[in-house]
Amino acid sequence: MKPILSVKDLQVVFSGFKALKGVTLEVGDREIVTIIGPNGAGKSTLLDAIVSKSPVAAGKVYFQGKNITNKNPYEIARMGIGRKFQNPNVYNELTVFENLLLSLKGDHGIFDSITAKLTKKKRDKIIDVLEIIGLLNYAATPVASLSHGQKQWVEIGMVIAQDPTLVLLDEPTAGMTPEETHATGEIIKSLAQNHSVVAIEHDMEFVKQIAERIIVLHQGEKLAEGSVQEIQNNPQVIEVYLGREKIDVDVAART
Amino acid sequence: MLVARGLLLFLICFPHPPHPLSLIPHPLKMSQSTIGIAKRSQLPTKLMTISGIIFIIMAILPLFLGSFQVSLLSKLLLFGALAVSLDLVWGFTGILSFAHGVFFTLGGYAMAYYLKLNLAAEGNTYGVDLPDFMVWNGLTELPWFIAPLKYFPLAAIAMVAVPAIFAYLIGWFIFRSKVSGVYITIITLAISSALTTFFISQQAYTGGTNGITDVSRLSIFGIDIPLNGLYWMILLFTTFVLVGSYWLTQSNFGLILRSIKENENRISYLGYDVASFKIFIWTLSAGIAGITGGLFVPLNRFISPVYLAVAFGTQVVIWVAIGGRGTLIGPVIAAILLGQIQNYAERVTQDWQLVVGILLLIVVLFIPDGLVGSVSKFFDKAKKQ
Repeated sequence: MKPILSVKDLQVVFSGFKALKGVTLEVGDREIVTIIGPNGAGKSTLLDAIVSKSPVAAGKVYFQGKNITNKNPYEIARMGIGRKFQNPNVYNELTVFENLLLSLKGDHGIFDSITAKLTKKKRDKIIDVLEIIGLLNYAATPVASLSHGQKQWVEIGMVIAQDPTLVLLDEPTAGMTPEETHATGEIIKSLAQNHSVVAIEHDMEFVKQIAERIIVLHQGEKLAEGSVQEIQNNPQVIEVYLGREKIDVDVAART
Repeated sequence: MLVARGLLLFLICFPHPPHPLSLIPHPLKMSQSTIGIAKRSQLPTKLMTISGIIFIIMAILPLFLGSFQVSLLSKLLLFGALAVSLDLVWGFTGILSFAHGVFFTLGGYAMAYYLKLNLAAEGNTYGVDLPDFMVWNGLTELPWFIAPLKYFPLAAIAMVAVPAIFAYLIGWFIFRSKVSGVYITIITLAISSALTTFFISQQAYTGGTNGITDVSRLSIFGIDIPLNGLYWMILLFTTFVLVGSYWLTQSNFGLILRSIKENENRISYLGYDVASFKIFIWTLSAGIAGITGGLFVPLNRFISPVYLAVAFGTQVVIWVAIGGRGTLIGPVIAAILLGQIQNYAERVTQDWQLVVGILLLIVVLFIPDGLVGSVSKFFDKAKKQ
């Protein structure tokens, strides 16, 4: 099967510092790939490089067989890659409805947007998304007055409304309660029925819930790749990441 | 002052033209099927009625005023339209420009050449078919790039096209190369200063510091336009600019402008080419400013580099700031009010700019949303309670 996304020997350099030192990975059709790794491993940078938020120094990114390395972000988005950022990156001054309306596919040219009408189809699509993210009662509420978790959902909703072939999620559950996290996991799983998903996560419970394949990044390099079982039993991963995570959890439990 | 009072009345009756999407009834109270019905087709009748009444009052006003007042009011309406053009780029899109005086003046020069050449054709003091300032500077024939402006249709096109093309070129460079924020503002200041110097230095073609003076009255295809006729043209133009801008900003396009203002990076990851949106609104805004300048010249009877200078550009910024960014009607009200204040303050003191300066300080420090912005916020709050 041809991969949807294929990243080859990707390098990103920030003023001399190599944030990514040649990462290679592939994402298949309707597959969920989870990326884990300690802080500073280059997880967000990897997603940034795919959508051209950070310039690629060397290596190539192919999406559906086309080279998209360092293309304009809006062109990459139009080709079908959606991105959710680490901190909710939503429009606080607009309502939830307006945030989703902006994200819908199509009408992205100047004249399209002037003449665009809110058709029943679009409205229904937005209502669907509102139902999925559980914010139907907040359609007309300005995003500024929502909680952090709700803002995360607005942004997940924006990605769903965008209906991209490939969804890139950067810590979709940060700041959510365990119940909210679980609900988000279910949303992502149902998303993967029609989309390919790459998600960055810290929460191992959540990773176990959604993951089919895990990639571990460490200091800008791919450390390991495999199923949940394989990763959990990988001695290297335990040393640099999972072990530390355990200690973190213990500390958190004690305090 | 009557006008100002009328507009204030309008403000109080209908403080905030609601965004169609904010008219979406709260889904808890309404059935789901009503969520998000855009109400562009059913513009609030209250707003339409009040606007219509104000328009009629404004239209019959010159019949009761002296020619000085009509002329002043015409100028203030034009300043209002100019302020609206800046509001589109600053209030909605977040690009603070001090160059709108430049676009205004470029349109103004196009019209001034037409009016001046019109006069020259009637035979001028030197007995040559050439504007006086060109004779003084030793030109013997009309430069090829000015000659076409003798014809009204060409002058009218130049009035829009010259500032719009100029703005498009600047916009292409600054927005494509991702210059943003305060750096754009600095560039607009530089453009304003550079063009001022350039126009002063090209005395033979531009009339230098004095600019183009003693222009003829406006006549189109041989028909003289009386002052009241000019006033009505200007009233129609200003109304058109206001209504058009309102319509534009209520569309998805307006939503995109507001998003660019809040966070221009995010929206590019949704598939929008931010630079092209910025270039479009910037060019459109410059075109409007150009027409404003063109209509201003027959009233003012001269145009000079004074209007190119940063001081005039700043005045436009002040109108928008005091009226309320992103409110459209606010800048118009501020331009008219401040114009009237200036008119009275000038009689009392030479330092009328001090009055405007103090007003600006008060607005920036205490009511950052501007007059209309604050009033509409106040009413929004009152409604919620």
